[in-house]
Amino acid sequence: MKRYRVGIDIGGTFTDLVHFDEESKKFSVVKVPTTPKKPAEGALNAIEKARIEFEDIYMLVHATTLGTNMFLGQEGLHPPKLALITTKGFRDVVEIGRQKRADLYNLFFEKPEPIVRRRDRYEVKERINAKGEVITPLNEEELRKIAGEIRNKGYEVVVVSFLHSYRNPIHEIRAKEIIEDECPNIEVITSHEIDPEYKEYERTSTTIVNAFLKPMMSKYLTALLDALKGRGFKGRFFVMQSSGGISKIDYAIKKPAAFVESGPAAGAVAVAYYSKITGDSNVIGFDMGGTTAKASTVIDHEPSITTEYEIGGKAHAGRLVKGSGYPVRFPFVDLAEVSAGGGTVAWIDEGGALRVGPISAGADPGPVCYGKGNTKPTITDANLILGRLGEKLGGGILTLKKDLAKDALSKLADQLGMSLEETAFGIVKLANTVMAKALRIVTVERGYDPRDFTMFVFGGAGGLHGVELAEELNVKSVLIPPRAGVFSALGLLLSDYRADKVRSVIRSAGDISEDEIERIYAELVDEAVREVSIENAEIKMIRQVDLRYKGQAYEITVPWMNDVEECVKAFHDKHEALYGFSSPDEPVEVVNLRVTAVGVMSKPEVKAEKDAEHEPKPENYRGVYFGDGWMNTPIYARNKLKAGAKIEGPAVIEDYDTTIVIPPNYTAFVDGYSNIRIVRD
Amino acid sequence: MDAVTIEIIRNSTEYIAEEMGIVLRNTAYSPNIRDRMDCSCAVLSAKGELVAQAEHIPVHLGSMAVGAKNVVEYIEKEGVEVEEGDVIIVNDPYIAGTHLNDITLLKPIFYNGRMLGFVANKAHHVDVGGSVPGSIGINAKELIEEGIVIPPTKLVKRGKLDNEILRLIASNVRVPKCTIGDLKAQIASLNVGTKRITELADKYGYECVVEAWNRSLEYTEKYLKTKVDRIPDCESEAVDYLEFGDELININAKIEIKGNRLRVDFTGTHEQIDAPLNAVFGVTVASTSFALKAVLDPDLPMNYGFFRAVEIYAPEGTIVHPIKPAPVSAGNVETSQRIVDVLLKALSEIFPNRVPAASHGSMNNVVIGSQTWAFYETLGGGMGARPTKDGVDGVHTNMTNTMNTPIEVIENEYPMLVLEYSLRDDSGGAGKFRGGLGIRRVYKVLSNAVLSITAERVKLRPWGLKGGMDGASGEHYVIKANGEKIKLSGKDTVTLSDGDVVVINTPGGGGYGKPEERNPYLVLGDVKDGKVSLSSAYEQYLVKIVEKDGELVVDFEETERVRGYGSKGD
Repeated sequence: MKRYRVGIDIGGTFTDLVHFDEESKKFSVVKVPTTPKKPAEGALNAIEKARIEFEDIYMLVHATTLGTNMFLGQEGLHPPKLALITTKGFRDVVEIGRQKRADLYNLFFEKPEPIVRRRDRYEVKERINAKGEVITPLNEEELRKIAGEIRNKGYEVVVVSFLHSYRNPIHEIRAKEIIEDECPNIEVITSHEIDPEYKEYERTSTTIVNAFLKPMMSKYLTALLDALKGRGFKGRFFVMQSSGGISKIDYAIKKPAAFVESGPAAGAVAVAYYSKITGDSNVIGFDMGGTTAKASTVIDHEPSITTEYEIGGKAHAGRLVKGSGYPVRFPFVDLAEVSAGGGTVAWIDEGGALRVGPISAGADPGPVCYGKGNTKPTITDANLILGRLGEKLGGGILTLKKDLAKDALSKLADQLGMSLEETAFGIVKLANTVMAKALRIVTVERGYDPRDFTMFVFGGAGGLHGVELAEELNVKSVLIPPRAGVFSALGLLLSDYRADKVRSVIRSAGDISEDEIERIYAELVDEAVREVSIENAEIKMIRQVDLRYKGQAYEITVPWMNDVEECVKAFHDKHEALYGFSSPDEPVEVVNLRVTAVGVMSKPEVKAEKDAEHEPKPENYRGVYFGDGWMNTPIYARNKLKAGAKIEGPAVIEDYDTTIVIPPNYTAFVDGYSNIRIVRD
Repeated sequence: MDAVTIEIIRNSTEYIAEEMGIVLRNTAYSPNIRDRMDCSCAVLSAKGELVAQAEHIPVHLGSMAVGAKNVVEYIEKEGVEVEEGDVIIVNDPYIAGTHLNDITLLKPIFYNGRMLGFVANKAHHVDVGGSVPGSIGINAKELIEEGIVIPPTKLVKRGKLDNEILRLIASNVRVPKCTIGDLKAQIASLNVGTKRITELADKYGYECVVEAWNRSLEYTEKYLKTKVDRIPDCESEAVDYLEFGDELININAKIEIKGNRLRVDFTGTHEQIDAPLNAVFGVTVASTSFALKAVLDPDLPMNYGFFRAVEIYAPEGTIVHPIKPAPVSAGNVETSQRIVDVLLKALSEIFPNRVPAASHGSMNNVVIGSQTWAFYETLGGGMGARPTKDGVDGVHTNMTNTMNTPIEVIENEYPMLVLEYSLRDDSGGAGKFRGGLGIRRVYKVLSNAVLSITAERVKLRPWGLKGGMDGASGEHYVIKANGEKIKLSGKDTVTLSDGDVVVINTPGGGGYGKPEERNPYLVLGDVKDGKVSLSSAYEQYLVKIVEKDGELVVDFEETERVRGYGSKGD
């Protein structure tokens, strides 16, 4: 029976399962602890706990943080033995990187350790120039010698990356043949197959990250699928990409580096889907959990995408610090990250100033009020003292220890010479400022003004901060979707099939003909269609071209309009719109051609309940602290709110995995899809 | 006023400076600002005291603190009346604090008719005229040869751009379109800054913002003084050198700590010279700020409070505080690095566990071009070894942090082939912790061209610490098509013919601790990685490595014999 569509997201602490029942047309969720040593087991446990039959699942979409964990050196994950073969003179390209350091003032900084050690990097005589001409033929004899060494040293995967292979891959192709011939049991991956774009460091790095993840991901995914089949699963199995699209398992095995941020990508997909239901065209998705807050932007119901990503990289003020990780040049949902979450610690520095973060008590030991031994007050402790958070969470599963939180915060209050509630309120305000400023920077940087946006707030801690954060940003309205605590996982059920293909051409716009461009597009479309073809799916094909002024290092992407001149015109216009000027007399270069194939999947149909405006009755009242002091505040249970409910602030709405604070002068409305929209009076 | 409000206003002001930086980069014309991020933005009090600054390369750190205050004082002295909507332009390095290429714009913020403070930005313009393209030439004898000198002048008067002044500037530079585009971007950035500060005052009130700013300066001052107070009173001196022709140019520094006072004194430093290596006082201040911040506390918030807690004295007429009209264009790129070196050397006596051995100490500026094209890049080198770990190989250190140009970009854009880009084997100073390796970059030109190089540490090697050996010095040469090898001094301009090869070997970092104390397994690892040769392993580290069954292993018997007893393992 084709009854369930299931999404499973394996995170660091919890494995979330979301399923949609085609009979009842309803979503349900299940949370189980992640089983780090045997992640597949957690997935199976979740399905069992959801009480659905494996045979009834017709489609399962999977997301996992395993790829990221591999980079964090998680126990039990074994990195493969890798070798790199590159052009003579260039084996250190991957070690020097872009030559910059990620930390300006720290004299004890480290660059990310090269994934392939220098001793495992081999050079071979060959050279192709920027035009794609062979200026030094591949020295096959030398290569065979290297292949012999590779065989003897027990490497599992070999990466081949030669200069200008994006232009002419002939040497990489030949090298692969030779190594495969000499070493029949060793996997060979070439850079032009994985990332045929120019800039040697980024291309080689992307290829190496793939090689690094491939054996583990292939083993894991195959084992998971086998286990599912063993229990009777007969449906289709998909994996979520970092781009927010889903794909078949073979692509996930071929390019695992395109899947490392699958969980957060699903969150952005869920935001996009709900923004269509609610009719919001500019949305900031704000996801605040235990240790970090993440923000995505969704314009016209499409998540914003970037190709600048570094795995293992660090963020500062919401932005990725270049050079802090390993570049991976695939499409990623563009996420800004701030280290602020429920577990983030408040402290007083040597100069006597109050600071919030970046240290976090995480989920374990967690905030002081969890009673698991942490004594440093956190954002959650401040929310508890302010009455924003109730003492019983999850319908009574967890009881928070308010007295412990008070003790911890009193120490800070004494040092600051402020009252307990002023201190707690200060922590919340400061956390909101830090998050708001970081969000402002990342939206402004992408050319948007947050004032034009609606904010969708989710994640366990999102509802506590969303409204005040929005006020800092001058965002006009806040929307809390249903199941906010596991909202990200919901995106797994709402995605489309997607394949992205790119090719660098780097030619003057006047020098390249439409015919030549169409020829390359035809090849890219062919490759992309092969990846997304699935019965009955409608395929949308998006062709784009990256252009730039000659000599500049940044490109602008415009749609391909079957005419180079038209594209150049569109480029000038977009440059003007983005940067306030354009230079119609300057020569323009065609840098990359891009194809995105989207296989449109059917989506679960969410039905709206009829709404009728009414004022619901609160469950009870408690004192909650807002800027002007304590207020006796009504507390509502979210699961009892019906469509059309209207609640005036101050108020608190409690859900089983999140709490929503509505400050004075704000009103909340519940719509037919159980969304809560909060707007200023 | 409560601590939280102060912190919120301080934080907001820092982010306003950041946002100004984003607007500047997004609207700038030249790749120099957009991609290399050679720019900075700041918010200043009504007295011109630096409240917050967003900088992306350390050479701008704190230089605004000197520059902007000088401008405000200049305006007062000259009796210029500053009005709402004015924008002041200045690039005179003797006022604005770096070199002529860095043009500073400053705008007053009025709130309900009352002066609240200033916003300012500084950006490196690709050309400001002068005798050579790009305006930075090693042969300049006086400032005027390095480009147009602009004293503090109103470029915008009460919101109206003065086109006469703009034209005057545009007529004195080589790429006027670029200069005008970048100046307009700077103005756009100031306008956003003014707007945001006004919003901040709307929200918290004029008095509250002013007080919070004052309190954040006091905070930094107090924070730093508390830190300094905990250090026992002491004095430490050091000297290091720049290379100029056959001469060595000494830079002397003394650091004195007494109670909560910290004083840096450059007395004894070589007098200014008729070459662009002079570093204006603003550069000396930036370099000193970098060294102190990096050693005392990398997270220290930077504002004028820092300069209340630290006294920097550099005698006038020296290479670290020249008098007009000494040329200064390379003071920024090379002398700044040496000032950091000499201060780190002095600080290493006071904080032996916090200071690395000398890093490559040069930005290794390479310019290759002809009349129709020009390629410019700076190359990193080896970082000095640290008290607890090796120096980083092949990286930009201290006063700069710009990215390299990908080889595939160079070969697509310029008539050049890159023949090698690698780490220089054996260039890191030997030590218990090894100095970082320098970089080897080899270019072949495919047309006639001119090479101009400004590099340091060609004669003097980056020093080691605590028994660590010095890093390798820079070694640069041209190989002509006929095989002739021309050695370069580090400050050269050379004509190249089609097919000539330029070889740049940047210096390695100094080592830390005695090489014979290095763990033999680490030496073995370096040998396996080809970073240290077999002979250096034996001669410098006293570790004998031999091949056994096709694999390299340590010969402990021989190693113990040459090292003496107790050398096995760590």
